[in-house]
Amino acid sequence: MRALIISGYGINCEDETLHAFTKTGFKGSIVHINDLIDNPETLNQFQIVAFPGGFSYGDDTGSGNAMANKIKNNLFDHLSEFLLKDKLVIGICNGCQILVNLGIVPAINSTTREVALVENDSAVYQCRWINLKVSKNSSPWLTDIKKMHLPVAHQEGKFMVAKSIQGELVRHDLIACQYIDKKGKLAKQIFPHNPNGSDMDIAALTNAKGNVLAMMPHPERALYKTQEPDWLNDNKTGSKHNMSFVFADGYKIFKNAFDYFK
Amino acid sequence: MPSQIQILNIHSTGREKSLAALFSRKQLANLKITEVYYVSVNLSVKQFTQAGQLLCNPVSQQNLNAKNIIKILSAYGKFKWVIEVRYLPGVTDNVGHTAEEIIRENLKNVKKSLSIGSALLYFLDTKEKNIIDAVAAENSNPLIHGITILSFKDYLKKLRSNKITDFNVKLSQKKYITKKINLNVSQEELHQIGKQGILENNKIRRGPLGLDVASLQAIQAYFNKQKRQSTDVEIETLAQTWSEHCKHKIFSSSIDNIHKGIFNTYIRGATRKIIKKRKDNFCVSLFSDNAGAVSFDNDWLVCHKVETHNTPSALDPFGGAITGIVGVNRDCLGFGKGAKPIANTYAFYFAYPHKNYDLYRQQNKKNPMLPARLIAKGVINGVRVGGNCSGIPTPQGTVYFHDGYAGKPLVFCGTVGLIPRKIKGQLSHLKGAQPGDHVIIVGGRVGKDGIHGATFSSEKLDPNSPVTAVQIGDPITQKKFSDVIIRELREKNLYSSITDNGAGGLSSSVGEMAKESGGFAIDLEKIPLKYEGLYPWEIWISESQERMTLAVHPKNVQKVISIFTQRGVEATSIGKFTKKKKAIVRYNNVDVMNMDMKFLHEGYPKFHLKTSKPSFINIKKSQIKKHSFKKELLTLLASPNICSKEFISTQYDHEVQATSIIKPLQGEGRVFSDATAIKPLFSSNQSLALSQAAFPRYANLDAYKMAACSVDTAVRNLVVLGANIKKIALLDNFCWCSPEEEERLYQLKKAAEACHDYALAYRTPFISGKDSMYNDFSGFDAKNNKIKISIPPTLLISSLGIVKSINDLTSICPSIKDLIYVIGETKEELGGSEYGNMFGYENINVPSVNPKKALKLYNVFSRANKKDLISSAISVHMGGLGVAFSKMAIASQTGMQLDLSRINLFGSANTLFAESQSRMIVSIKPSNKKFFEKLFTRHIINRVGECTSKKKFLCRLSNKDSIQVTVSDLTRAYKGNIKKL
Repeated sequence: MRALIISGYGINCEDETLHAFTKTGFKGSIVHINDLIDNPETLNQFQIVAFPGGFSYGDDTGSGNAMANKIKNNLFDHLSEFLLKDKLVIGICNGCQILVNLGIVPAINSTTREVALVENDSAVYQCRWINLKVSKNSSPWLTDIKKMHLPVAHQEGKFMVAKSIQGELVRHDLIACQYIDKKGKLAKQIFPHNPNGSDMDIAALTNAKGNVLAMMPHPERALYKTQEPDWLNDNKTGSKHNMSFVFADGYKIFKNAFDYFK
Repeated sequence: MPSQIQILNIHSTGREKSLAALFSRKQLANLKITEVYYVSVNLSVKQFTQAGQLLCNPVSQQNLNAKNIIKILSAYGKFKWVIEVRYLPGVTDNVGHTAEEIIRENLKNVKKSLSIGSALLYFLDTKEKNIIDAVAAENSNPLIHGITILSFKDYLKKLRSNKITDFNVKLSQKKYITKKINLNVSQEELHQIGKQGILENNKIRRGPLGLDVASLQAIQAYFNKQKRQSTDVEIETLAQTWSEHCKHKIFSSSIDNIHKGIFNTYIRGATRKIIKKRKDNFCVSLFSDNAGAVSFDNDWLVCHKVETHNTPSALDPFGGAITGIVGVNRDCLGFGKGAKPIANTYAFYFAYPHKNYDLYRQQNKKNPMLPARLIAKGVINGVRVGGNCSGIPTPQGTVYFHDGYAGKPLVFCGTVGLIPRKIKGQLSHLKGAQPGDHVIIVGGRVGKDGIHGATFSSEKLDPNSPVTAVQIGDPITQKKFSDVIIRELREKNLYSSITDNGAGGLSSSVGEMAKESGGFAIDLEKIPLKYEGLYPWEIWISESQERMTLAVHPKNVQKVISIFTQRGVEATSIGKFTKKKKAIVRYNNVDVMNMDMKFLHEGYPKFHLKTSKPSFINIKKSQIKKHSFKKELLTLLASPNICSKEFISTQYDHEVQATSIIKPLQGEGRVFSDATAIKPLFSSNQSLALSQAAFPRYANLDAYKMAACSVDTAVRNLVVLGANIKKIALLDNFCWCSPEEEERLYQLKKAAEACHDYALAYRTPFISGKDSMYNDFSGFDAKNNKIKISIPPTLLISSLGIVKSINDLTSICPSIKDLIYVIGETKEELGGSEYGNMFGYENINVPSVNPKKALKLYNVFSRANKKDLISSAISVHMGGLGVAFSKMAIASQTGMQLDLSRINLFGSANTLFAESQSRMIVSIKPSNKKFFEKLFTRHIINRVGECTSKKKFLCRLSNKDSIQVTVSDLTRAYKGNIKKL
């Protein structure tokens, strides 16, 4: 089973994304976007395409816009074909912004942009851990996951969704994850539980088929317990010795993808 | 034909909200910010519409034009004035470049000359001039921005007229290729040349060379011997290469009776002695490369480098800081065969952000210093954009405030890198350009950016400084070539040497690398330029950012260039490294420089420095009559130097690369960490701990003790976190002032001596360092009084240490029922303390460090930690025990019941707030009491209390003094108020 991780032009989370896929059993390759454009049939060898986090084109002209434009001009047909097959796509953070700009998610009616990712309400970059609940949807990426504790790190992570589209998202079960507070209730756009002011507390979306997951939080940064904040204190009664390489919430997403193809 | 694309965000953006929040509703009820893209060529209506769509997100944005603007904007307010902020010609415009790339990719037949200039428009519904000016000041800097303020009506007129200000650089034709410079002139004229630069044809001088008369006389003598006049390129090159910034003459010159100089005697001297004493392979590459490196494990090396970017940050805080951080990233990429940057560090020294200093570089309120708040804000933002966009985590930092930084902020930027010990069977830290290798430059193009940057930082900030010497970084260009170097070229062994282009540009990087082969010959006309019309000397010394220089064997040149090209990076062969020890530069086959390498690097006159001990500094000693220790503790916790820096940590991505293991914020109470750790390899549990320490307030009282405390704290912070003291390395960054004053040199010498003594005592080698000597401001206040502000001498010690296993890591969060111990001695040492600073209570007792005792204590601590006896631990430094206890309580949100009366030997204030070094607070589980106390039998430790489930902080100091405060009050105070920058 093979996962293709895209790199280039300021994408910067490809190494840890590759690790997440290989740790769950995939064979992974980091492929530069220009190489993929030159040889788009490479896609046929892979079950997964991952758009990792980063700052493609420095977020200039809007995060994800320039890279989406490049893909649209050079790779869109091949990518669309890939999506129609029994294959999975994930976009994390900047990858999520790229997928949204490509219109691949939520893709309610067509592949034009239907939602936008705009600057955080705080106008400040936010790097912090948040809590998510998995909403009602059928994406294989999220099988059996109810809640997740993951980090976000973004300047433009606020999902802006017109009222009419909000209804559609709910109707078609396209909301993948939402920010929640400490008690497990929806964050209701309250900072810092909802770190960016996202409409409907949306943190992740899928397409109708469920094979594309576009999420702002970073599951690849939460593969192990020791990556969580204060993991030393969580284990007050025991010793630290058994914490090594214990998996954390992000692992399950990648494992789900592997199990889907198994 | 429309020539500008304007885009409006239909919602109220975060940026608009936070800008509005600076003003009251009455001052400014509504504002709207739009993005503008100016197009340099004529587009057809169809092309223009298409371009507009490409840059506009139809979900969240809308295209504005002369026809629809009034109608659309009226929905947002009655706008009366408009501010336009755009980049001045020649300033890097990343947004403009990306827009250009997008348009070019879609509009296939667009003119080759297309270029896009970006701008922001601020529509305001006020007429108040002071509000309009305040909005402009908040969002622009006249050094890099063109600012136009128009009434809404005039703006509409301008929009309809469709006239746009030219944003491209247009230089006039070159008048010559090179100038012959006659140095056989009077001493007075030599002085003028050195101070103000070479005289141009139009009788204007080029700007400071920073060469003193003695240096110019050495150049004169050399060329007289060559029987010819020197060229301008040669003099400009020597000015770069011999600058204080590049040669560190103050650190290398003989001083008093120290003939080998401060650096060789104290810094490198200590390291050499330590290497002899250590019988391991920990030290790998020290002081010889762009960064210093030590062993991480059997297969990997870690390197670390810290740089300062003070003067550029004083002029353009954002640009100065972003080029500071991406610049030091390149030091890491340029270490050995190229190390991957795995962590950034920062240390900022600012004036108090909400204090009005009102300083001017020129008389009559001309050329003002930026307000302290905007400097702090710009610097913090610059490091954020540089670090985050490069995908390098920034876990470790510190921020400090003092009036002495009002004329010059200090901006320390550091990078840690990781590199395999061997690449293709060869040791990775060794490299060497070979004769015949091509000189390949990669990355950004060359413009006039930063000309005279290296000589500039060796000069004081005064009216004649060229304020054009600023640059804006382009981290994405750098990220692109960084990926190529680390991921593709390095493993294929396609280059024999690599270095970064920093201060002095190519003249410096090529000149340095050529030492490896012998010499070099460069053809300047091959260098890609941002715009035409640059003179050869400008091309050669330009400090345009985001460039690396590689030495590549002729057979690999095509391959290397094509790999870079495939990744969207420009790479060009510009000449060759030679065996012949000559430094040759040509322009269209004309020699513009031809010097001996030996003269280039060693021809500068050596001098001898003298120091004299400063006279005793008189300290105002005020006694506090009636203490309220609770109030004092809360005030101190809320003070800028102690309070939480969470607002910085959360905007610096410290999770990217997925390596963070001890984070910059700890516990439920999110306490800002003294030390942080990353686990750089997914497959290994070995971690890398980072910390920093500086005590600027001690410096003028006792520079020796100041440096001793810095080394001790930087080491202790890592030990407390769980690092192995035998695997700790240090970096020294001296930022000094007025080196022409013998008293300042005395302080410098004493501080370096302490670095030597304490590094040796702890056997923690210095592996890299840097100094910046001229951190003074000379100017005027608002009343035209002449003012000189010198920074307090600031020595930043950065430390990095290996943590063998994650089991050794400790947290600062104690658990309920834990017993609490103070380890180490609390002495009568309030001198230079933060407490003294806050309450005007000063004395000269700066903490002194007994390194032998301290080392023993640290070893016992590590033993206790290895035996799993430590539940939590924190290092005690600024703010003393009072602050350290509070941080533990805040982090864990648990109460504490403490009795310090037993260690209260010099008064309650001293007990709580003295900053005596080598102390730690440790909490342990009650069941470990016997074991723990036994380990420390022969050391000074005191059990002072326990953690409680009641969220109260109760601290008895003596029969009459005590503190009772809730943990939530402590927390509230600690959150501070500096975040509103």
